[in-house]
Amino acid sequence: MKRSRIPLYTTCLVLLFFYLPIAVLVINSFNASKFGGGWGGFSLRWYRELIDQREIWHALRNTLVIAFSATALSVVLGTSAAFALHRFTGRLQRLHYTLIYTPLVVPDILMGMSLLLFFVALSAQLSLLTIFLAHVTFCISYVAMVVLARLQDFDFSIVEAAQDLGANWWTAAWRVLLPMLAPGIGAGALLAFTLSIDDFVISFFVAGPGSTTLPIRIYSMIKHGSPPLINALSVLLLVITFVLVWFSQKLTEEKIK
Amino acid sequence: MKKMKWIGIMGCVAAALLGGCSKSKPVLHVYNWADYIKPELVEQFEAQEQCRVVIDTFDSNESMYAKLKAGATGYDVIFPSSYMAKIMNDQDMLLPINPAALPNLKNLDPAYLDLAMDRAMAYSVPYMLSITGIGYLTDRLPDFEASWTMFNDPAVKGACTLLNDMRETIGAGLKARGYSLNSTSEAELAEARDQVIEWKRNIAKFENEQYKNGLASEEFILVHGYSGDILQVQEENENIDFAIPREGTSITFDDMVIPRDARNVALAHKFINYLHDPEVAAENTEYISYLCPNKASYAYLSEETRENPILFPPEEVVANLEVVADLGEENAKYTKVWDQIKAAE
Repeated sequence: MKRSRIPLYTTCLVLLFFYLPIAVLVINSFNASKFGGGWGGFSLRWYRELIDQREIWHALRNTLVIAFSATALSVVLGTSAAFALHRFTGRLQRLHYTLIYTPLVVPDILMGMSLLLFFVALSAQLSLLTIFLAHVTFCISYVAMVVLARLQDFDFSIVEAAQDLGANWWTAAWRVLLPMLAPGIGAGALLAFTLSIDDFVISFFVAGPGSTTLPIRIYSMIKHGSPPLINALSVLLLVITFVLVWFSQKLTEEKIK
Repeated sequence: MKKMKWIGIMGCVAAALLGGCSKSKPVLHVYNWADYIKPELVEQFEAQEQCRVVIDTFDSNESMYAKLKAGATGYDVIFPSSYMAKIMNDQDMLLPINPAALPNLKNLDPAYLDLAMDRAMAYSVPYMLSITGIGYLTDRLPDFEASWTMFNDPAVKGACTLLNDMRETIGAGLKARGYSLNSTSEAELAEARDQVIEWKRNIAKFENEQYKNGLASEEFILVHGYSGDILQVQEENENIDFAIPREGTSITFDDMVIPRDARNVALAHKFINYLHDPEVAAENTEYISYLCPNKASYAYLSEETRENPILFPPEEVVANLEVVADLGEENAKYTKVWDQIKAAE
């Protein structure tokens, strides 16, 4: 029997669709032409210019600070929320579920505007802190949903077995429950991190003076400025991401051995 | 346990960075478009005034306005386009400009100041200006004329773009028929509509951003666009030129304003004054390819810049320029005409 070749073609097309734009971006980051309409020759001009752009670096720093801190807090809160949602049932938990679920479906612009009005009503100074709080607000929901899915096919008899063998609740949770949930928590954390790092709409509204993030900066540069610098920066971020992914894979491989 | 430690460390780092923003030097918070000021000039100002300048960026007048209107504060100098500066002033969001603190205002070019919305500079000071016109490929259009009628030319069929901007494009239609681009006469608007629909049949699309790339790669041979943009593309492709239609066109100012809740009003005035220092303004004009309407600065520009007809159009052309005014209630007429244009086949 001859195997159909359609899946192979589909996979190739999908991969092409995924990675071709990235390839174009990488190539264009070395293009001397500013508008990328034609090939102006190979050049490292944009990388050189990028080094002098202190505002871009400042924006990148802001973005990373927020992404790391918002991920850390929302992982803790989101996991606890998922645990509560799974362990307890009742009317209050149904309300809890709705409240956790809502930020997933509320449009960003509405959320950004209402958070801004809220911070203004509290007369809080808009800063990195307000962006951090806003990001935690929407990241919690994603983390909670991912962890909840993991919990749904979790066998609690393992925890009970641990307790039967003499572990107290904390030890059981720490040594058994958390490690088994780790893939879910990790996935939630990655999702939260990505969402935080590229959020534009909400961040725009709650950003204060001095807390421009990279997406805000990039949007403004598309209107007014040089897109090639963005290409160069994206390539650097890509390289860093690939190195990190490669490194983490190395680490897990060694652990398995 | 490792994980807990990590979270703790990240928390501490975050707290340190979040809290670590206060330094003893006075800080000026500027809210501007990206790359709209030469970075070295900002550093020079910081050294001169012993202060720190923090620049945040926005991507459209409307989103900046929405944010401030909702109550966002903390900015000392903002750079809106002049129509937005007027709306902000009407909404009582701006502080009056104190001319006594701005000796350099005498340097402003009266020819352009006459066209501005806030001629008296009561609440805004012009920063840069840009003229809307036609960019084209000289080798592909040997018979080019500086006129809106070029958009009817069969030679450019399917290879030209008009701006996807209601006021600019209807304004071009009005100017082509010899009317003011702020006309509120229904009959004149109907004529402009028919004119734009006629062009629409000849153009590739309505386009606000990609026309720059399209012109650079010679995909388009005629585009409706802003002088600053076309000047930047020109550095890439020597075949590109920019023309101001003889029937007239629009001119846009980006202004500097001080919001009502600014904390550092004195420093904000110093910054505005600094940017209108003739040498500083000249450097800025060279850097961002828009013209700072500062007459005293012209002497410091390079010869090449001074002879550039895009930045320094002849007087009779300047006389035909008009600023897009805020029409308030009458705006609905434009929206209606624009919808008809968009729906037309």
